[in-house]
Amino acid sequence: MARISLTHVSVEIPVFDVSSASLRKVLLGSVGGQFNRTGSQVLVRALKDVSFEAHDGDRIGVIGRNGSGKTTLLRVLTDVYPPTEGSIEISGRVSPMFDATLGMSPDATGMENIRICGMLWGLSDEQIAQGIDDVVAFTELGDYMNVPVRTYSTGMFLRLAFAIATLREPEILLLDEVIGVGDAAFFEKAYARLIGMVRQSRILVVASHGEKIIRDLCNKAMWLDGGTLKEFGDVDYVFAAYRKELAKGAAA
Amino acid sequence: MGGPVLRVRQGKGLLGDDGGVMEAVRPASEAARASERVPREHRVVRSAGRRDPLGLDLYEGMVQWRLWAMLGWSDIRQRYRRSTLGPFWITLSTGIFILALGLIYGRLLRMETATFLPYFAVGYIIWTFVSSATIDACNAFLEGERIIKQIKRPFSVFVLRVVWRNFVVFLHTAIVFLPILIFFHVDTGFTALLAIPAFALLLLNQVWVGLVVAILNTRFRDVLQMVTTAVQILFFSTPIMYPVDALGDAAILAHINPVHHFIEIVRAPLLGKMPALESWLVAWVTILVGFLVALLLFRRVDRRIVYWL
Repeated sequence: MARISLTHVSVEIPVFDVSSASLRKVLLGSVGGQFNRTGSQVLVRALKDVSFEAHDGDRIGVIGRNGSGKTTLLRVLTDVYPPTEGSIEISGRVSPMFDATLGMSPDATGMENIRICGMLWGLSDEQIAQGIDDVVAFTELGDYMNVPVRTYSTGMFLRLAFAIATLREPEILLLDEVIGVGDAAFFEKAYARLIGMVRQSRILVVASHGEKIIRDLCNKAMWLDGGTLKEFGDVDYVFAAYRKELAKGAAA
Repeated sequence: MGGPVLRVRQGKGLLGDDGGVMEAVRPASEAARASERVPREHRVVRSAGRRDPLGLDLYEGMVQWRLWAMLGWSDIRQRYRRSTLGPFWITLSTGIFILALGLIYGRLLRMETATFLPYFAVGYIIWTFVSSATIDACNAFLEGERIIKQIKRPFSVFVLRVVWRNFVVFLHTAIVFLPILIFFHVDTGFTALLAIPAFALLLLNQVWVGLVVAILNTRFRDVLQMVTTAVQILFFSTPIMYPVDALGDAAILAHINPVHHFIEIVRAPLLGKMPALESWLVAWVTILVGFLVALLLFRRVDRRIVYWL
């Protein structure tokens, strides 16, 4: 039983310009006893008062314009961004996949990278050992598996990274833009593998600009606008509301 | 204190490993009871305003030792890729430096080469570890940014990775001492074994130092430059290139310098002498006070570090 619960979550991210990030500013600012002066700090509210719940079987597509807080929300769910206000409660193993190439070491061989990335993704030794055949079969890299990854083409590199990242068995799967991997033929294969992982998961949260992807994968949609949760519910309903707003913006 | 605070419970890691078996979705009535069965390590409760127990992050970082050991290893491989001598270049350059400077400085200080060169060699090798581990740790979180922003791992993992990879480099430079030991017939006896626990203390010390400089440098990017300068000054003000006696009236400078005592507890045994009790005491006090300060600082800012990256 997996569950996500956010209550009144806000995230404020400080923005440092060159001068306010430097120690000099604080030291100079502290002269004369004004130690607490933090007036120079600019805060960006990336999420504002977001509350929602998700349970087993929920496949949520997060939509919204660039900068609407989609990635921030995913990072909160990953427990990477602690909420600056409000609270979160998450039950279940969270598997984020924002950048599948995370941890790939160019000077290690393909085989070694399975171990390196696998460990980084939190796979156990058995999972890694059992996954090797799977990765080799899926990537079709053959002898290249024993060659340093830096000799790979971009497509081969991505294939390997993707194959390793999808070895996980997530309970709560978080995706930021479904990745376009390599050539068209391979994309089909990768997409099928991704869907397999999605099916396994109990809860899916995917941020995407692609309506088709969300309609394919999701049974709920969430619309973020300027960090606030505008709509959350049925896919058709949320998309209708979203499109109405976009049309209004275009007309104005 | 408005900092957001979390309480995370995790064992082997949030990303899990026990490969949970899929079950069909249960009816809602059962759902509530089922949620209590979620393993503790897969449950995150985090709210703005709640604090972690002191040292939790460091503890979890230690538990995940395989992760930082692996990361540190691949850092070293990356750095010396396709180089024939690899990390042994450091061995070579350190050896040449020690030989050249040791011979010249011995003359300047009017000390016998057989006494001065081993003294300088040991001190300098230990110092190299201290200085590189400290400067390197400034960027511990910055170099881990990609990981930190994508998957949840204890912050201390990134500091331990730096200390570990510098320790590996240290092992390469330490080889230089062996020929010197043999050539000058330094009779260490079993006292030399004391250098092992002493070095363990030094390693421990670098963990809290690393944590502090990593935090500060993430927030204030000038810290790296400040630390680099401070380390340079420390090199000249710590008895490494000269014995403590050479300081004369200023010997107090060495006594109040914790770095001197850390070097002394490792150096003295390797030269066949017992380190002074004072040095052991200072080392221990520095570690205890240092960890307290570092962990308090960490708990104060742990919710904000990621936003500073």
